[in-house]
Formats: sequence, C-alpha cells, structure tokens
Amino acid sequence: MAPAIPHRADAAPGRRIGDRRGDYANWLFLVPAAFFFIGWQVYPILRVFVLSFTDYRYLDINPPEFVGLENYAKALADPLLYTGLWRAFQFTVAFVPLTILLPLMLAALIDRVESSWLSFFYRLVLLIPAVIPGPLIFVLWKWLYDFQIGPINTILVEWLGLFTRQTAPQWLGGTDLSLTAVVIMEVWWGLGYHTVFFLAGLAAIPKDLSEQGRIDGASEWQLFWYVIVPRLLPILSVLVVLRFGTAMSVIDEYLIFGAFDRMSPTYSWTVYMYDLAFRIGDWLQGYASAIGWIGALVMMVFVVGMLRLFRSRD
Amino acid sequence: MTTTVTMQRRRRIRVAPLAKHLVIVFFMAVILLPVLWVVLLSFKPINESYSTQMWPSQFDFSHYGFVLTKVNTLPANMANSIFVTLATVVITTVCAILGGYVLVHVRLPGHAIVIWILIASLFFPTRLLSLISIYEIQRQLGLLNTVIGLVFPYVTLNLAISILIMRGIFEQIPHELVEASRIDGCGPWRTLLLVLVPLLLNGVVVVSMVNFVTAWGEYLLAVTLTNDQSVRTLPVVLASAHSGMGQWAFPRIAAVYVLTITPGIIVFAFIQRLYFKGLAEGALKL
Repeated sequence: MAPAIPHRADAAPGRRIGDRRGDYANWLFLVPAAFFFIGWQVYPILRVFVLSFTDYRYLDINPPEFVGLENYAKALADPLLYTGLWRAFQFTVAFVPLTILLPLMLAALIDRVESSWLSFFYRLVLLIPAVIPGPLIFVLWKWLYDFQIGPINTILVEWLGLFTRQTAPQWLGGTDLSLTAVVIMEVWWGLGYHTVFFLAGLAAIPKDLSEQGRIDGASEWQLFWYVIVPRLLPILSVLVVLRFGTAMSVIDEYLIFGAFDRMSPTYSWTVYMYDLAFRIGDWLQGYASAIGWIGALVMMVFVVGMLRLFRSRD
Repeated sequence: MTTTVTMQRRRRIRVAPLAKHLVIVFFMAVILLPVLWVVLLSFKPINESYSTQMWPSQFDFSHYGFVLTKVNTLPANMANSIFVTLATVVITTVCAILGGYVLVHVRLPGHAIVIWILIASLFFPTRLLSLISIYEIQRQLGLLNTVIGLVFPYVTLNLAISILIMRGIFEQIPHELVEASRIDGCGPWRTLLLVLVPLLLNGVVVVSMVNFVTAWGEYLLAVTLTNDQSVRTLPVVLASAHSGMGQWAFPRIAAVYVLTITPGIIVFAFIQRLYFKGLAEGALKL
C-alpha cells in the first residue's frame, strides 16, 4: 500500500479538468454496484425475456427450444392470466388510495401536536410497524386472522358479539374475504412507514404558512387541502406511482397466506408465475417468463400513464 | 349568517384539539394492539395456547429460553439472518456511497444514463421477474441452498434506491469542499475517504436502515433459494411454523417472533433522530 500513495500524489497534479480518459476511470466507483446490479438484476431480467421465447422446462434434461411467440399467444388465450391481472388490479385499487390518504391525514394531525414529548412518543409508535419487515408483518397478521386463536375473531365474537364462534368470518384460505384481509393488513403496515415518511415531508413545510392561514380564517380542512397537500404533491405523486407498481406485483403476502389455490382471490398473476416456474410439472419456466413479462408490461403501461398524468399537472 | 359562522368556528377551535388527540390515540391503539398481542402470547403458559383470553392468567417466561436452547435449528437460523443482513447492509452501503459520490462530485461521462436506469428500475417489478433466472444463476454458481448465496440478490433489492438516497445526501455537500480538497492534491478517492465520508452519517443511517429492514425480513428469495431448515433465515422459519403443537406451540413461535422484531425496534429507537435528518436531507428528493 505504501508505495501506491506517493504514486497517486504524483499523478494527481498532472490530471487536467478536461482529461477525458481520466473521466472514464471514474467509472471504477460504480464497479461494485454494477457487479451486483448487472449480475442479479439486469442479466436475470434479460435472461427471463429470452426464456419467454423458448419452451424451457427447468427439470427437463432436454435443452430448451426456440418457439417464437408461442408462449405469448398461449398466455393471451389463458383465462387464468386475465383473472390474475384482474385480482392484482382489484387489490391495487382498494389499497393505494387508503394507504396514501389515511397516513397523510394522520401525519397532518401528528405534525400539529405541540407537546414535544407526545410527538416523540407518537413517532416512536409509528416506527414500530415501519421497522418490522414486510414478510414478518404478514406472518403476524396470519396469526391475527387465525380462525381459532386469532384475536380479530375473538374481538368480533366475544367483545362485540357480532358473530358466534361457528359463524365467525373465515379471513384466510381463499375465501371471498381473503383479498379484503390483505388490504386491511397492508393499510395497517403503511400506517407506520407512510406516516413517518409524510412527517419528514411535513417538517420541511414552514409552520408560519399554516399560522398565516389560520389568522386569515381558513379552516383546518382548508389548510390541509390548500396549504399542506400541494406542498407534498411531488412526494405524493412519486409515492402513488411507486405504491401502484409494488401493489400490482405483490407476492410475498399471498405466498405466506398460502394461496396456491387457483380459485382464491389472492391467486394473482404473480402467484401464477411463481406456481408455473417453481411448482407445476417440470417447472414451466419458459411459459412463466412470458406471463411475468406480460404482467410487467401491463404494469408499466399504468405506471407510465400515471407518471405522464402527474407530469402534465405540474 | 356571519354570527353562526363565527360561533361554529369558535366551537371548532375548542373541539378540534380533543378530536385530534382522540383520532391519533385511536390509530396508535390500532398500531400497538397487534404487536402487544403477540408479546402477550409469548408469555402465555402452553396450556393456554388456544384460549382466546388475551391477558395470560400467569406470565410464563420460559418460552424464550426454550426456543433458544431446545429448538435445534433456531440458533443456526438466527446466525443465518444476522450474517445475511450484516453482509447486505455493509456491501450495499459501500456501493451506495461510491455510487452517490461519483454521480454528484466527480466527472462521469454518461452519468445521466446511470441515473435514468436507476430510477427506471424502481418502477419495474425487477424482484419478481428476475426470480426465475436467479434460481438458475445460483445453481450454476453453486450458491443454491447456501446462506452466503442469498447476499448477492439481497444487495440488489435496494441498491438503486440506496444510491439515489446517497446522491441526495452528496448534493447537500458544497462542491467547493470537493474542489478545495482537489486543489490540496487529493485524488477523487482520497477526497471521498478523508473529507466526505465523515459528513455522511445521516445518509449512512438511512441507507443502512432501509437495507436492514429488507434483508432481515426478506422472504421470497429465501424461501425459493434455500431448502434445508438449517440454512433458512428467520422469516422463512416463522412463516412455515404453524402447527401450533410441540416445539412450535403458539407461545413459543410468538417468542421467536418477538426475538426477531425486537433488535430493529431497539436500534431504530436510538437512531431515529439521525434517520429523520437523513430522510429530510436526501431521501425525499428523488
């Protein structure tokens, strides 16, 4: 190491601002990131794209054959793909507005708590679901929804008396309620990290703006809609689009809630893709790749459309 | 008309603070109750596993000792989770610092393309789609069913957002500082290590936290790429432990659960101020 340092110091004054070759050497900074990014994201995605034009079956010893657009033709005639996309869309439409608006209002309320002790306490509570990783949230809610030991049914039956133990709702396991159950859980989770996120955004809005509004006689609702929301709009639009994307491609919660039942409302296109790639027959990864790419393209159409919508508003 | 409006306003001013606190307290209870439930469950005696009573009739603290010593693979699962998480956090943070620095303070031909690719990757379901071929890659590299193999895909999960967060942090650092250090004869690497790294604390906290939460709880890759119970991580173990009998009696699973979520909560409680500062500095400006 020691001789290398004087060498660098000698080299440094020789470098000029316009030294193009020296600039290309700066790509070295990106080598560690690129190693992982290309190796485990870019390459696999391109590989999946190539596979989608083959009849690749993972467990089949015969080499895959190029089949052109056959997988895509088959997928577009596959009712399960449409059902899967529709299920993902239903979930997204129920989940995204709730997970943005509820935390936004909660953040606006907490931001106005004057006692610094209380506001510290509230933030601490909000951080609890925010630092529990998603899959662990799903595990917890799987137990909360449990038909026998789950406290949700206990509350409904024993505290509120709305049902009896026999008629209590069966939340999970592919019933009509399963998608609702996932939405409730996701909104609960977002209550933590989205509120924290918005609180950080609200902290950047000068307090005297709201004060001025109050002196001028604006109601709290008016302040919320006309002072706070417009200032958060840049963060909000990014968050809406990001959440929309993640919601369309949700899979962990469906797997943890155990949904390889094709009739279940949680059997979305993502689960179908997983099912095909790692469970069914010889692992039909060629077909699964086509399903995955179609799902991703449908999602991208929505995402790009929303980005354009928000862009034109500004 | 005007008098009723002012009366309404006056009443609203008196009622509003109370309503505000009631709403907040309601949501706080909604957030806390599920967590409280699982903590209480971990203190229930085994014979009360199936009772619907939330408060244990007596507190039984033995489950924690039991799961740590008697469930044979659990220490291995914990070690796996800790190893995978630490490795992911350290590697991603280093990649993000280097990436953020080069995108802001160093001349880089084509840096606009890099930023564009990073942002675009946030909107694409990369994690899901790449899964099919990551399985194949891991098998070819002999990384299937190994703990260390998980680190490679884990690093990529938040790599793009981490670099973008660090870029936001670096943009807060005045470029004059970098210029001054360069005039003093420091190359770009020495400038980064000696002058800039000490200023990055808040950003490093945010990036580490984001990656900690993801890696500590990752499920999809872990359940797909590992097979043996002894190489699995805690989330996979928890998600598959549902028999409710024997060593996986509910209070015992709950104890594992509490052990799994506590480290994150404690660490976060201590660094939350830095986290909020970092969030305000970098993460909110995409």
